[in-house]
Amino acid sequence: MLVGVVREMLEKAPAPRNVLVRFRLGRVFGEPGNVVQQRALLADALSALFTIRQAGALVELPYRWRRGVYVDPLAGPS
Amino acid sequence: MGRRWNQVLSWIYARVPALSRRYAARMDAVRGAVPWSPARVPLERAAVALVTLAGVHLRGQEPFDMARPAGDASFRVIPGTASPADLAITHDYYDHSAADRDPNVVFPLARLQEFAAAGRIGRVAPRHVGAMGHATGVEERRLVGESAPAIARLLAADGVDYVVLSPG
Repeated sequence: MLVGVVREMLEKAPAPRNVLVRFRLGRVFGEPGNVVQQRALLADALSALFTIRQAGALVELPYRWRRGVYVDPLAGPS
Repeated sequence: MGRRWNQVLSWIYARVPALSRRYAARMDAVRGAVPWSPARVPLERAAVALVTLAGVHLRGQEPFDMARPAGDASFRVIPGTASPADLAITHDYYDHSAADRDPNVVFPLARLQEFAAAGRIGRVAPRHVGAMGHATGVEERRLVGESAPAIARLLAADGVDYVVLSPG
């Protein structure tokens, strides 16, 4: 499963499963030190292993660079 | 033009997304069927590995060769127990200033370790792979024909169920 930030590159050279996140080159899993954001990205990418059912298909994550609130996928019940 | 020019271009490309889209528009599409395997192993029992083309390697390992215009098709093996402080990045073809501060932004091994500790994945694979994605001509053929199969054999030998790939 490939996580990338440029749709056209994912479409031209697709992996079996492809995840697009509209972040910057060199920051595909988020911002330095932003643990919750990185966890959320990774969790969503791992989920796509099971939601993508067709070879070469692409899903786009809803996150936008430096915007949005992220839920920690590892946070226990409060 | 040299390394400095490549680094300047990388800084610009990171901040002007349209340039990457234009670059991608000129790429040839990869031909042939995309391989497929059903995801049968539940994540909480799965071994997960990371493979990156972001030029990540262990400090002390030989850096990727930035002097060759055709790039470097070699790869480095990174143990699943590595910490961010153990890692370095050699790559002139993307702006890795953020990854230099926190390698997890391109190679989220610390996050994967947390997922394993929390039981969200079965285990972190014992070996992960860093490569450098700039490879043209003979180096591209080496990357596809030699490095990629060797990486696949390594991961299969470790019983890896799923691989998360990331670019630079």
